[in-house]
Amino acid sequence: MADTANIYKPLRARLEEVIEESPLIKTFVLIPEREFVFSTGQFIELSVDGVGEAPFTPSSSPLVTDKLEVTVMKTGYVTNIMHQLKPGAMMGIRGPYGRGYPVKDFEGKEVLILGGGCGLAPIRSLLFTLEHIKDDLEKVILCYGSKSPSDCIYKPLFSRLNSIDKFEAYRTVDKTEEGWDGSVGVATGLLDKINVKIENSVAVVCGPPIMMKFGTIRLLEMGYRDDQIYLSMEKNMSCGLGKCGHCMMGEFFVCKDGPVFTYKEIKHNPEIWK
Amino acid sequence: MYHINLKKEDWYSSLERLLLSYDIFVPVKNEFSLDYEPFRLSEAGYISYNTPKPATPLKNFFLPVRENVTAERMIEKPRIIIGSPNCDIEALRLLDEIYLDKTFTDPFYRNRRTSTLLISSDCFSTNEHCHCLSYGVKPYSLDIADIAIAVENDDIFLRVISDRGKELAAHFTPQQPVESNHYVSFIEQKRTSVEASLAAKNKGLPDYQATGQIVQKAGNDIWVKYASTCVSCGACTTICPTCSCFLLIDKPDFEKVKQMDACQYPGFERVAGGEDALFELPHRFKNRYMCKYVWKPQTFNAVACTGCGRCIEACIGKINKNELFMELT
Repeated sequence: MADTANIYKPLRARLEEVIEESPLIKTFVLIPEREFVFSTGQFIELSVDGVGEAPFTPSSSPLVTDKLEVTVMKTGYVTNIMHQLKPGAMMGIRGPYGRGYPVKDFEGKEVLILGGGCGLAPIRSLLFTLEHIKDDLEKVILCYGSKSPSDCIYKPLFSRLNSIDKFEAYRTVDKTEEGWDGSVGVATGLLDKINVKIENSVAVVCGPPIMMKFGTIRLLEMGYRDDQIYLSMEKNMSCGLGKCGHCMMGEFFVCKDGPVFTYKEIKHNPEIWK
Repeated sequence: MYHINLKKEDWYSSLERLLLSYDIFVPVKNEFSLDYEPFRLSEAGYISYNTPKPATPLKNFFLPVRENVTAERMIEKPRIIIGSPNCDIEALRLLDEIYLDKTFTDPFYRNRRTSTLLISSDCFSTNEHCHCLSYGVKPYSLDIADIAIAVENDDIFLRVISDRGKELAAHFTPQQPVESNHYVSFIEQKRTSVEASLAAKNKGLPDYQATGQIVQKAGNDIWVKYASTCVSCGACTTICPTCSCFLLIDKPDFEKVKQMDACQYPGFERVAGGEDALFELPHRFKNRYMCKYVWKPQTFNAVACTGCGRCIEACIGKINKNELFMELT
């Protein structure tokens, strides 16, 4: 059976570099054995040989197809072992899976992005994509929160974004440290500082469940309609193929029907923030 | 659809000849129940026709409990499975939707489905918990199966349903002329009798559509009550002809083993960070009902409970879902 015909068989990828983003977060730079094409917001199943695999949304640009970056927080069994890997190790990739961000629908609009913690990983990929089509956008605003300045990932990204025409990036931390030049407080607090034309805007939220919940509530208070809010949902996705059942969220397979949903699509389900 | 008739002796010798090309499974009575066994001419007398229902759900022929899904596949001999009741046959409609999905077709499931011929068995009697009719599933197959079998004394009647069934039917010889009037009245009488039995024993049980609404509206108390004897053993999902959730397990050299899983097991939805939407047992218990009666019907054009009643028989906590629905109705 050809590799391509077997949906369960991973593509091998060599780990080229490991970048330390924060004490708990590393970015893995991977060179897949063959070209790997994905849309921003789609996810992959990344495996450590013989250990396990876990779902991640690539944090690199979808315009780059010979190299893939995946930002991983050390949080469970597989990611703990992943964090011990050294350059040269072989990893496995299955995917890309699911429905990513409908970037085409963002054209002509102001894109407000609310991110928290490791949620900045998929957002960085989205930002690369939006940068590429910035002529077709009105504005891109990033509001990002992390626990502390040392937990803030992709530090150079913020100054770079602020130097790009039409882009604005704001940072906040729950707990400040010496030398911090951003805000202090939760990420949703940054929404009070921005200037956005809500009627011609879409909002993207990606982060821990608690931030997604209160971020969505705040956006609705601001006047965003439920179909203007895009949420990237996190579930236990074992197969990524809409079969294994682990990621079911109501009638949806998050891995196949998502992971990106509008709030309108899923708001009838009270379990979404769990 | 057309019918053929042959004598039992000729049916068995035809099967014996087909063994050269096929693995053949038949429902055989054993000490405890009825289950599939490889066909052996010497044990043909133990084959049980038109009685519900093999202990093993038909899905196990297509979704093994555990298999390596990255290894090169062995070429499997084509199979003929005889005696599956329609509750099991109908379950394939949902499994096909999931596993033969156009975007991601499971090659292992597909190969087994295409290399398997199904000779379904009309049910002429019912088991204690049979309730297929309540979910719109007839106790006889008119679709999905390739052929359906009905036995009257020494006569084997085969109802040929699919094109593949037609090809297979040509191997059953010598055929007798079907006395149409007799066959129709025989089958009608059996169907009327079994449907009356199902209707009587399931009086008051809500139908499939209503079941979904009832499950959605139910308060938390009912789930807490019925989950009180649940031990999360997963027998109900394991034995269910439509439950098909699985887990992928990594093995060295990037091999993956697919193992059947159950939403009733603790940790089924737990994510790496520790959050678990189904942590509480009553919540997990309710999940199975929501999946079968609310979510799957919304997503797929197929029923996720075919009324076989195996989950009731298998439950060591003596949880009877039909009693739960009766209480809610």
